[in-house]
Amino acid sequence: MQNKKRKLISLQMIQFELRKTIGNPYVHIFGVGFPILLVNIIAHSIATEITDEAMLSMIITTLFLGIGTIIPLATVLMGYGVSRAQELEKGIPQRMELFGIKTRTALCNRVVAEGIFMIFAFCIYFGVGYLCLDLEVPVVSGVLLYIVCILALSGIVFCLAYAIATIFKKFGVTYCITMLIYFAIMIFSGMMGISYDSMSGGMQAVAKLLPTTYINNDFYTVWVGESYNFVPMVQSYLFFAAVAGIMLFIAIKRTARKLH
Amino acid sequence: MLLSIQNLTVRYGQDVALSIQQPIAIETGDRVGVIGSNGAGKSTLIKSILGLVNYQGTIRTQLTPEQIAAHMQFNEYTDAMPVKYVMEAILNTKISKNQKLQELIQYFEFEDCLRKKYTKLSGGQKQRFTIIMVMMQEAPLTFYDEVTSGLDFETRQKLVEKLVNWYKEKESSLCIVSHYYEELEQLANKLLILDKGRVIDYGEKGELFTKYCGRAVLIIDRTKENEKLVQNYKKLASPAHLIALSCESEEQEKEITNLFLKHNMNYKRSNSDIEIMYINAKESYEKTEGKSYAK
Repeated sequence: MQNKKRKLISLQMIQFELRKTIGNPYVHIFGVGFPILLVNIIAHSIATEITDEAMLSMIITTLFLGIGTIIPLATVLMGYGVSRAQELEKGIPQRMELFGIKTRTALCNRVVAEGIFMIFAFCIYFGVGYLCLDLEVPVVSGVLLYIVCILALSGIVFCLAYAIATIFKKFGVTYCITMLIYFAIMIFSGMMGISYDSMSGGMQAVAKLLPTTYINNDFYTVWVGESYNFVPMVQSYLFFAAVAGIMLFIAIKRTARKLH
Repeated sequence: MLLSIQNLTVRYGQDVALSIQQPIAIETGDRVGVIGSNGAGKSTLIKSILGLVNYQGTIRTQLTPEQIAAHMQFNEYTDAMPVKYVMEAILNTKISKNQKLQELIQYFEFEDCLRKKYTKLSGGQKQRFTIIMVMMQEAPLTFYDEVTSGLDFETRQKLVEKLVNWYKEKESSLCIVSHYYEELEQLANKLLILDKGRVIDYGEKGELFTKYCGRAVLIIDRTKENEKLVQNYKKLASPAHLIALSCESEEQEKEITNLFLKHNMNYKRSNSDIEIMYINAKESYEKTEGKSYAK
């Protein structure tokens, strides 16, 4: 090809992938609007029941940090998964490969694009949160650890979304599966009205496997700089990453292109 | 040699979609036209060369996947942005800074389409969009799979004319799949004839014509009067509404054309008619196959 050699990550490809991300209405509705709406509705309903301001601030901060996990779940797991499935159904990734844009190039640039979009989504979420809600001021380590946890979760759900879309290749099936996972994670993590303590033993066992459970229930402790045992949370991340990794491996193996 | 194929078999489930037993070689500068009816295995052949389907057998090439450009039968792109950005991302360049790309866009009269999203483009504009990017690859080997399918006559003619002119001075090898024989007459110098997943013949266009049709063919309308008039001459297989006469020598051709002139008849003369050649190659193959099955 006469054109200059393509770098793995380039500004042009990041812009291209970012345009694709922004062009997907799901991520704006479920990834930006929905978490802000949900946290405000629940926070205002709690505020009418709890009079102790310190207690209220703690509960709202816990709730706010937990609902923040919806952003990567909606933008990456659902948004990217559905978008990739749509592209696969139309044969777009194969068309890109034929133009010399390797899957890993598209993936790497998409990861950066998703990251940029999430930064904006979190800025809006935290901006609205601190403007409208009585949130606790975090310690620096709490903010950094929250960023690390969200980044790790986003990375894992990105792999999961890629794998689901690549294996099933259909928009409808991928939408259904990612939506089910999205709601299941929200339910088991205690974001849909049933708290972890009110769950049955079986449900708690499942909940323990999800990193979002720890972010939703315990992260307030880290946020305000209190000591916290990270081992169960790290284990849940490792388990989640292993599941996503296996699915990703299967997906990549199934789509390998060979020239003999 | 740019690419060679031998003992190639492609299966979709239990069905053999393509079986190429004899060696096929594509040399630098070859313009190979691939013809055959639906289900002949034309697109399957391209997909196997591009490594998009599993196959058994050997496809040898020194080219890397990036050195093979392909305009597939169906080409889709994201609809999240105007095609300008899709083009720039795919080609890893900026239109405003790339003289050659600007020339191609101008050559294909695509300037007004750059701000449109892909689904808003017409069929012809969609084809031109992919062609521009395929041409920008400047690959040693380029595939065009039914590049004019679904286009109206005028758009089709204009597009083929532009392709012919573009590749006139170029050394790159082309492999063109088409149902339109007149396109292949303009674009191809070799033909690969496929039918039901098997190779009927492969070779230089002129040689294949001579092999199956003779020196030239004279074509007239099929009417009772015409049939009676040419009953003593050697006929070739042809579309139902036509009579195709094979001319083995110049003398024979003169004799027949004099007959036509005497009767004030309309006729067409060709020494490169791909349609007649294809029909006769297929018929000849079926006869041979029929004999071998009978044995």
